[in-house]
Amino acid sequence: MATTDTEVKELIKREYEHGFVTEIEADTFEPGLNEDVIRRLSKVKQEPEFMLEWRLKAYRRWLEMDDPTWAHVDYPEIDYNAISYYSAPKKQEDMPQSLDEVDPELLRTYEKLGIPLHEREKLAGVAVDAVFDSVSVATTFKEQLAEAGVIFCPISEAVQKYPELVEKYLGSVVPAGDNFFAALNSAVFSDGSFVYIPKGVRCPLELSTYFRINAANTGQFERTLIVADEGSYVSYLEGCTAPMRDENQLHAAVVELVALGDAQIKYSTVQNWYPGDEHGKGGIYNFVTKRGACLGKNSKISWTQVETGSAVTWKYPSCILKGENSVGEFYSVALTHNYQQADTGTKMIHLGKNTRSTIISKGISAGRSSNAYRGLVKFQPGAEGARNYTQCDSLLIGDRCGAHTFPYIESKNKSAIVEHEATTSKVSDEQMFLCRQRGIDPEQAVSMIVNGFCKEVFKELPMEFAVEAGKLLEVSLEGSVG
Amino acid sequence: MKTAPMLSSAFLHPAGQTLPEPLLALRRERAGRLVDMPLPTRKTENWKYSSRHLKLADDMAISLPVGGKTGHSLAVPGYKVVFVNGVMIPEASEFPDFDGLSIRSFNDLPEEDAGKLADRLGSTLDPKQVQFAHLNGARFEDGLLIQLKPGAVLDQPLFVIHETVGDASGSAYPRVFVDAGANSQMTLVEEYISDGDAPVLVDTVTEFNLADGANLTSIRLNMEGENVQHIGATGVVQQRNSRFESHCVGFGGPLRRHDLQVRLEGEGAETKLNGVVVTQGKQHYDNHTSIDHVAAHCNSEETYRNIAADESHAVFNGRIHIHQDAQQSNADMNNKNLLLSSKAEIDTKPELEIYADDVKCAHGATIGQLDRIALFYLVSRGIGRRQANVLLTMAFINELVEQIPVEAVRETAQTRLNEFFEQTFIEEN
Repeated sequence: MATTDTEVKELIKREYEHGFVTEIEADTFEPGLNEDVIRRLSKVKQEPEFMLEWRLKAYRRWLEMDDPTWAHVDYPEIDYNAISYYSAPKKQEDMPQSLDEVDPELLRTYEKLGIPLHEREKLAGVAVDAVFDSVSVATTFKEQLAEAGVIFCPISEAVQKYPELVEKYLGSVVPAGDNFFAALNSAVFSDGSFVYIPKGVRCPLELSTYFRINAANTGQFERTLIVADEGSYVSYLEGCTAPMRDENQLHAAVVELVALGDAQIKYSTVQNWYPGDEHGKGGIYNFVTKRGACLGKNSKISWTQVETGSAVTWKYPSCILKGENSVGEFYSVALTHNYQQADTGTKMIHLGKNTRSTIISKGISAGRSSNAYRGLVKFQPGAEGARNYTQCDSLLIGDRCGAHTFPYIESKNKSAIVEHEATTSKVSDEQMFLCRQRGIDPEQAVSMIVNGFCKEVFKELPMEFAVEAGKLLEVSLEGSVG
Repeated sequence: MKTAPMLSSAFLHPAGQTLPEPLLALRRERAGRLVDMPLPTRKTENWKYSSRHLKLADDMAISLPVGGKTGHSLAVPGYKVVFVNGVMIPEASEFPDFDGLSIRSFNDLPEEDAGKLADRLGSTLDPKQVQFAHLNGARFEDGLLIQLKPGAVLDQPLFVIHETVGDASGSAYPRVFVDAGANSQMTLVEEYISDGDAPVLVDTVTEFNLADGANLTSIRLNMEGENVQHIGATGVVQQRNSRFESHCVGFGGPLRRHDLQVRLEGEGAETKLNGVVVTQGKQHYDNHTSIDHVAAHCNSEETYRNIAADESHAVFNGRIHIHQDAQQSNADMNNKNLLLSSKAEIDTKPELEIYADDVKCAHGATIGQLDRIALFYLVSRGIGRRQANVLLTMAFINELVEQIPVEAVRETAQTRLNEFFEQTFIEEN
């Protein structure tokens, strides 16, 4: 009897396994969002109970919220029930089999950016052989990190492997009900990165999503959590200068950073999603909530971003400066062209004594685009001796674009000092004349001037990124003069 | 979803019916728009920081009695028109004897003129931004129409004294409409004062229309008492080569709100807006300004300074909007704030909205306290700490007070500022 029992049990198990596997591999959820979808999603991802509860709570909060309308952007209403909230990783045979099948426009851009051939294949989503250069690179890279004790893995893996860390920090900076898109993300996030730097460790490498093998398909609801324990340091690069092939129109990501005492996090982003064509058709909606908390004394969080892509960008990387002497920085270049719209900026919330923050924002608008800086600098009564300096400059190229500044400054502490400066100007005729007179063609001249305008931000980027970012601006601005 | 509180319908019924018919019709039309007007809440962007100070009780809906006593007899060097609770008191006024200028009460207008005026009342304001100007439109009982003929130059400033006598709860709706002909010139001083101590609402609208080449200086002095909630709107429309200069001096109260909107519609127009606000105790003052560069080649310059002491709250919101065809615009906005106590709060939002490329726009804003090094310098030279504080604070705003072109106003402002310093800086040993 006993044997039969075991056999039966095994049989049941096998069948179950089989069904389960099919669900992961072949299933793409039918469009629509309800609690069952979230339960299924959580089950497919084999998440512990607390995650499901957390997702459901977020979903219930989301149901009570309205689409935010305060941003200076305009897009058709999104039907959240027309989106599929889970799709299994693509099979090799569904992908383009070689570069010949890829949109030639995309290839031309790769050419201009000088991207190595094998990388082009990966970026364009071409099915590549498993034995691929970067795999070996990634392996050595992983070994090095493990040696230092750094955890760097997909967040879905972290939920299973390090549930105590995830439970402690997930949603601690961006609560599930923080805003409409953050709530949506919390309910349905697909994947993303998890980073934990142990006490006193200086991360030996710059972490980049590019090297994470699983990063290939994180889906449209990405979630990133970075925790830097006491005295640690990490530099994290997100995105890539090359345009990525992507089929999802709505991207609602959440990034949370936690810096404990004396810890430092440097987070750099280059965002170059598909911006739509020159008539404003198509393009990605990028609605991102990014926030870092400087919890410990002397901690520091620095955001650097170069935003050139997406049809609509809605993004405010922020810092909550709670620890004494903590520092928040925000360096941003946002470029819009054709019909792109960007409403981006930062929030610096000063809670602790002697906290300091710097905001440098450069907005460039060309074509018929609209580019807005929206920021908040807030000093709470406890922010004794706090300091902020803000500079936001806008550059206009063409007479049909818009550049806007909406800075909110709130102070409740008399010893806190805040300075805000903003200017708007165009590429002047004199500057152009000077360049032309020296034999530089107009397009190159504009690119030179724009690069100069952005220098303050580019110098904050990791070196090779800075070079690429300069090139990227050049490509993005093509056709804006003459 | 919580529903926003609505304006009580008690506020929609004006008392006096003495106005000419076209203005009564206008009033009815405005009242119609106000049915279902939601009161501003913290979520209402342009009332974000002030909505919690707005406290409208139903008994404040009653129009304050007309023709009451004038509590103050102000000696002003020049011409004056006195309004009490929003209605003109001709006996207390001294009209200029000057052909180029016509000053009439709305109640005295012949039907035809009233009809023309009714078409234009409220035209200088952006209806979406100033809900309370509609309330004024639904409730005004009188008003002042000032018409300056082309080329006329008024030799002395014209004072318009708006006094609110609040012996019992109620509200008043003063209204002024100014039409400055081509190349005319005048200085208008609006003083808001009050008497009595019952809680009252003063809801004002002042409108300026500047024809080509007109040159107008407006001074607004707000010195009402602690019982007055003041919500005012000023609209300015400028034609070609006109020049407008505004000086606002405000002392806080339970709620002070002023919206100043300037539209530069003609090429070469120029505007200059200065503002000084001091608040103490639990006072609140909120200045919202907006400058619309509609035409090309216009200049605007704006400087506002706030000082907040004790547990008070000062707000500044400045908006510059450069329209698509307003090439060669120059706009400069500057807002500096002094926070004298850690229980006080200052909020500022200098906004730029730019749709033209060949422009020069800049704005700057700071919030801070007195410079310690400057204080140390003064103290090291034997000046008492308190005196040093007063000196530096004075220097901070005198730069603007000194620019007020009418001496009498400067003096009144100085006296009030000195009182403020007396109370704010206590002798330290």
